[in-house]
Amino acid sequence: MFNIQNISKRFSENFVLQNFSFQISRGDKVNITGRSGIGKTTLFRLLLGFEKPDSGTISFEGNVLTDTSVWELRRRVAYVSQDLSIGTGKVQTLFDETLSFRANLKYKEGAAIEIPQLFDYFELHDSLLQKDIETLSGGEKQRVAIVNSLLLKRDIFFLDEISSALDKPLRIKVLDYFLLNPGFTVLSISHDNYLPSGVEIKALKLN
Amino acid sequence: MTMNGATDLSALSMFMCAILLLVPLIAVWYFKLGITKNLVTSTLRMAVQLVLIGFFLEYVFKFNNWFLNLLWFLVMINAASFSVIKNSGLRIKQFALPVLLSFIIANFFVVLYFNYFIAHLDFILDAKYMIAIGGMVLGNSLRSNVIGLGDFYKSLRRDEQLYFYKLALGATKYEALLHFAKKSFVSALNPTIATMATMGIVSLPGMMTGQILGGSVPLVAIKYQIAIMIAILASTVLSISLGILFTVGYSFHKNGTLKKEIFRTNL
Repeated sequence: MFNIQNISKRFSENFVLQNFSFQISRGDKVNITGRSGIGKTTLFRLLLGFEKPDSGTISFEGNVLTDTSVWELRRRVAYVSQDLSIGTGKVQTLFDETLSFRANLKYKEGAAIEIPQLFDYFELHDSLLQKDIETLSGGEKQRVAIVNSLLLKRDIFFLDEISSALDKPLRIKVLDYFLLNPGFTVLSISHDNYLPSGVEIKALKLN
Repeated sequence: MTMNGATDLSALSMFMCAILLLVPLIAVWYFKLGITKNLVTSTLRMAVQLVLIGFFLEYVFKFNNWFLNLLWFLVMINAASFSVIKNSGLRIKQFALPVLLSFIIANFFVVLYFNYFIAHLDFILDAKYMIAIGGMVLGNSLRSNVIGLGDFYKSLRRDEQLYFYKLALGATKYEALLHFAKKSFVSALNPTIATMATMGIVSLPGMMTGQILGGSVPLVAIKYQIAIMIAILASTVLSISLGILFTVGYSFHKNGTLKKEIFRTNL
């Protein structure tokens, strides 16, 4: 599905990634680890086309990613970012805005039923919908961002530290949701060493 | 509007005015605010510029030639749009043309509308109206544009993660930018909206003061004031929307990321 070939990326004088290659197949669950500043988030930004590699190529389903083809990729992937900048205003407004994008309009109808279900699974109270995002705790924001991504029915997930602010039982619940679904292709940056049984997790250690 | 109603100020009056300048000057000097030089040069610049413009406008009003009026209004618009770009930290080279264009369209539309439909002028390019009304509309929408256009690009740079997040959720560039555009509109319009809410109580606006000194009755002056405030709002909204619309075309790379070189200072 993804073929990363010999990519290098540096910011000013520091190489973040150097001659890095990796393949990801459909249904793979990849756990990316490595010390902070090593380029884990940069890898996601490269895959989403927000950064360009200095050399090397990234292919998605056999086609080399370009400035134009990356838009299609962004409509296929769900990205849950680490730094929790998911905006301001009411939680419901965030969902509404996401579903108002032309690429997502077709999921608008189903969302009304799914939001309560997802809220239930991720242990969020329905009243949260009317709360301002700024007033949520870190853990609540993380789960709201996860729900926001799941409404879009994507099957490729880039998850950047999505469970760091959650307690252990919830963290396992969140990771299970993604890792135990055989249809999901998951790239996850996580410090967790949790491995659910019966799933093969590919480890990708950057150094 | 009668423009010759106000009493002329004699040389002695202007001298007394200079004496009044001692108040800020002494304060600045006494508290060592370090802006003495700025204060003096700004005052001198104001005086020299206004004297020149005074003589110039005497002739413009006397000839009242449509071409000259148009030309001078364009010069004013040009100065305003450069001031907007400069004060919002954006690069002149990339922004000069689109911002100028947005200002020309927005301000011409509003001023001509004002002159034709509101003031019912026979000669809609009349110097007094075009330059006085145009200047007020322009000056106010200039301030709002510095906030609006500047804030739009600055917030995109500051909240780049949020912008990327929206793109990663499948938004098109315009869909992702809508959120930022809305916020800039609010911050650009807020000062004007706040001014309107206290107008007449906290401050008597310059236009009214001028008209009342010029001999108009207050009830006429307020009608002009209401009209001008609405004209300012209209030109602000128009120029910010067009400004954003005309500049987003080449402020972004093809992959949707903001070009860092549009800012004068690289942070």
